[in-house]
Amino acid sequence: MLEIRSLSLVQDGDTCLDDVSIRFEPGQLTTLLGRTLAGKTSLMRAIAGLVQPDAGSIALDGTDWLGLPPWRRPVAMVTQQFINYPHLSVLDNVAFPLLRRGVARDEARDRARDMLGRVGLADFTDRRPGRLSGGQQQRVAIARALVKKAPVLLLDEPFVNLDYKLREGLREELIDILTAETGTMVVYASTDPREALQMGDRVVLLSEGRVVQAGPPRTVYGAPVSVAAAQVVSDPPINLLELDVAEEGAEVTGLGAVTPADLGRALPPGRYTLGLRAHDLRLGGPHAAHVALTEVSGSETVTHLVLAGQNLVMLERTVTEHALGATIGIGLDLTRARVFDATGTLVPNGADHG
Amino acid sequence: MYRQKYLFLLPGLLVLVAIILFPLLFTIRVSFSSWDVYNPGLNWIGGDNFTRLLADSRYWQALVRLSLLTLATVTLQYVLGFGLALLVWRDIAARRLFRVLFLVPMMTTPVVMSVIWRTIFHESLGPLNPILDALGIGAQPWLSQAGHALAAVMIVEIWQWTPFMFLMLLAGLLSLPQEPYLAARIDGAGPIRTFLSVTFPMMAAISTGAILIRLIEASKLMETIYVLTSGGPGTSTETTSYYIYIRGMRDFQIGYSAALSLTYLVVMIVSLTVIAKALTRMVVKD
Repeated sequence: MLEIRSLSLVQDGDTCLDDVSIRFEPGQLTTLLGRTLAGKTSLMRAIAGLVQPDAGSIALDGTDWLGLPPWRRPVAMVTQQFINYPHLSVLDNVAFPLLRRGVARDEARDRARDMLGRVGLADFTDRRPGRLSGGQQQRVAIARALVKKAPVLLLDEPFVNLDYKLREGLREELIDILTAETGTMVVYASTDPREALQMGDRVVLLSEGRVVQAGPPRTVYGAPVSVAAAQVVSDPPINLLELDVAEEGAEVTGLGAVTPADLGRALPPGRYTLGLRAHDLRLGGPHAAHVALTEVSGSETVTHLVLAGQNLVMLERTVTEHALGATIGIGLDLTRARVFDATGTLVPNGADHG
Repeated sequence: MYRQKYLFLLPGLLVLVAIILFPLLFTIRVSFSSWDVYNPGLNWIGGDNFTRLLADSRYWQALVRLSLLTLATVTLQYVLGFGLALLVWRDIAARRLFRVLFLVPMMTTPVVMSVIWRTIFHESLGPLNPILDALGIGAQPWLSQAGHALAAVMIVEIWQWTPFMFLMLLAGLLSLPQEPYLAARIDGAGPIRTFLSVTFPMMAAISTGAILIRLIEASKLMETIYVLTSGGPGTSTETTSYYIYIRGMRDFQIGYSAALSLTYLVVMIVSLTVIAKALTRMVVKD
């Protein structure tokens, strides 16, 4: 088990990690989900020993890692960039970490050849990485990471610089390969909530260098514990609406008065934030909204709307062409909204819906 | 109409003929003549000069000496230059100052530096021997014994030209991609293994270029010898260029020195081509 306790890191005056504590279990794929600069890469670099944290501890099965230089840590890592050795052949690239661990040259090359076969590069062993496509170069980097059979495998947005089709294909291949590897602690960083929810056994949400939530993907998605967590885990972005509850009634900014029946529950007086996912808005309803932007992606349409001065995002599972500037009627299913109190903490309702 | 384009090539062609082709052809012609202080002119004597040089042991000794000096000095320049470049490549204090300091020898006129070094090596008036005395090593016959004189020539050459290697290799190091270093650290390579498996191979192309340039330059070694030892003591530090200079400019054996020069040119072209091909083959493996 890899245990990280109260890890903090400040670089150039910026807080990259702030009191981060996570446990990674063998055989588990953990996805670190967060926006850019959330601290995912910093955390991975700290685990790999590429940066020295200012406080906290990292230990593998009780053995402290902070005193170990990166080349002595049993870690493999794939980064966003296609990092390989430009002066070595594809085969020698993959054999490199094995040779450094004292594996005999012939055995190292045999194992490298086998791994290259698994990532679909059996016919490219003699080429230099510079003569391969971007996807193939990243496969070389993945093969080099996997061939080590390190107990900790760090994958830092490995497919982010690849085109959509290739990304989807490689992700599925990687899942197949990782499924065959038993006992490896896989840490996968992503900015894409859909990817994170598909891939991981467990999701850790990071925001501004802090862990905001950790748990199984369904739980994290269904019940984000805070506004920050809801923002990180939602794609398209979650709609945030201000709710004022008083003794005489409740009002949502921009929508007007609402009843407990509209919200699906009664709330004590106070200020709240409603988090309403884009697919909980529907076309055809009592509220008139202006179309600011329409994005058609595959068979889905994401429409950016302005309703009484508030920006909203609506997701439709069909292809719809809304004219820019047009006024359309929309409905909001507030019973599906997550309710957060004035501190941004989830007010539980018992329901756990998607 | 398109033939007019050749007119524009004419100035360059004329310059090429004047500075390369004509001197080369003239030297070839002179090498087959008996032109010396008694018989000036292009009297044809066939291959007599070439027959004579085959038996001229002083010439061949100078050539061997030059080859050994060149290989030794260029190797040491490369090792020292690489070491210094590695030193200021990473973030160290006063890195910029060191970078400039290391280049000072190269920015000084070689002849002037040789005069200064001759003064330093002077056995009774120079500052070096008193220092060696004070250190308990004792005064050395720097310029009056063959071995010491060769060492003195090597020291001056290394001091003068290591900065060139430093500059070339530092430029190479600064242009290296940083990603393979990150990969090497993750893949279990410590600093020494990283140098041997990543830095050194990635520097192969620029190293080859720098070594070849220095080999070509060092094979013309002349002014340091002229100022520092005048080829002495005896002929112990005489190099090919210096010997050709003596035969041509001091003894005024123009025909013979032309034959020496031509032979020297052919030997250099052949040997440097072989070295260049060998080095290039090492770099470009696939």
